[in-house]
Amino acid sequence: MKGLLLKDWYMMRKYCRYYLVLAIGFLILSFMDKSNMFFVFYPCLFCGMVPVNLLAYDERSRWLQYSGTLPYTRAQIVSGKYLIGLFTQTVMLFLTGIAQGIRMGMDSGYQSTDVLVILLLLLIASTVTSSVTLPFMFKLGVERGRAAYYVMIGLICGISTLMTGLFREPLRMEIRPNLLLVLLAVAGVGIYALSWHLSIVFYRKREL
Amino acid sequence: MNALEIRNLTKSYPDFTLDNLNLTLPGGCILGLIGENGAGKSTTIKLILDMIRKDSGTITILGRDNAEYDKRIKEEVGVVLDEAGIPECLTVAQVGRVMKHTFRNWDEAEYSRLIRKLGLPDKKPFKDFSRGMKMKLAIAVAMSHHSRLLILDEATSGLDPVVRDEVVEMFSEFTRDENHSVLISSHIVSDLEKLCDYVAFLHKGKLMLCEEKDRLLEEYGLLHCTAEELKQLPAEAVRYIKENPYGAEAMVRRSAVPDGLHVSPISIEELFVFMVKEAR
Repeated sequence: MKGLLLKDWYMMRKYCRYYLVLAIGFLILSFMDKSNMFFVFYPCLFCGMVPVNLLAYDERSRWLQYSGTLPYTRAQIVSGKYLIGLFTQTVMLFLTGIAQGIRMGMDSGYQSTDVLVILLLLLIASTVTSSVTLPFMFKLGVERGRAAYYVMIGLICGISTLMTGLFREPLRMEIRPNLLLVLLAVAGVGIYALSWHLSIVFYRKREL
Repeated sequence: MNALEIRNLTKSYPDFTLDNLNLTLPGGCILGLIGENGAGKSTTIKLILDMIRKDSGTITILGRDNAEYDKRIKEEVGVVLDEAGIPECLTVAQVGRVMKHTFRNWDEAEYSRLIRKLGLPDKKPFKDFSRGMKMKLAIAVAMSHHSRLLILDEATSGLDPVVRDEVVEMFSEFTRDENHSVLISSHIVSDLEKLCDYVAFLHKGKLMLCEEKDRLLEEYGLLHCTAEELKQLPAEAVRYIKENPYGAEAMVRRSAVPDGLHVSPISIEELFVFMVKEAR
């Protein structure tokens, strides 16, 4: 397992180092345009795609076939990617937390709850992308996995639009916003765990 | 103990079936799997390594079922695939560090020795390697963790003759230890002819033969003769005939050919080509 993580670390250093530069650039921009949350969210979103990109590189170099000849279980090969995902997301959340803390400190005084709210939202946003994409890729391969991902996103958008049309009266929920965020964050982590498990099941059945 | 035993192995795809394959690789020997492109060599190797699921049959590697003891077996098996599969951005030194954390028996000193012997650059990324250098690195990895069995899928194809000779010599050296065995697949039969103790011919997913190489070369020969002489030969002597305007060339069983006719030695490559044509 250590060998798999080390290999991914080398690959990340080579292929993903610009992500870090870009992320820091975006976080600095977020100080300048305080009304726009895009610069806060975007670095975490593309960090969620790091394991997906590493998997694409693995497939291109035929590492997936070669790793099938090495003393690793299929579960370990899948878990390597999810652990890398957790690592990059944690680093990015940490950086974002510091950046937003500084921003709020400069602006109107530090408010830990506001930073927490942003971090929880980011946790959800960053885990969902890779959670949805990775099982498709482990089952179908990178190209077909990506296609399936886009089809699914299209379906979700279509259904959401349809549902919005059906419910003309807005849904009212008697729930405190902070509690809702915590619930959503727990759901995000749960989805990540479910996605991890599904990927293992799919990859065990895949022929290399 | 046999290094590898395959019994009644079957795997079906919509357009291809590996049909009821039986193979044995005795310990300390080299078995060459010979076949045209698409004959089923890579499918066989993938099944051995449990990379694809078999439909039926059993595969025993170093005395253990291949699927049941998957991880433990792979510690003792060195594999080189036709595409090396090493990530493109990694250097030789980084590959060494990754493998050190992959194999329990990783031998750093042996890896360094092989890298020096094969003349591989330390700092160049894998993507800048030539095909020959890529295969050499994969071979160095396969031979640096005290493996008892090497499985090589088209490991010599695409290499220039000098490198091929070096690599073939390394495999020969590997089997000087009687606990070491090699399964090597190739469609470059001349390499296997130099190297192998046993040869297996695969054609369209079916095993045509699996025999000791020397016995095959003793048993069969080439007879150049006229059409008249050919007609006088007993039917059991002739396996395949290639006729031309000047006479005929026949693959014959030496023991069944009458005295007085000169039978020349046959190469494994000629034997394979004749047998494939006969099967068609």
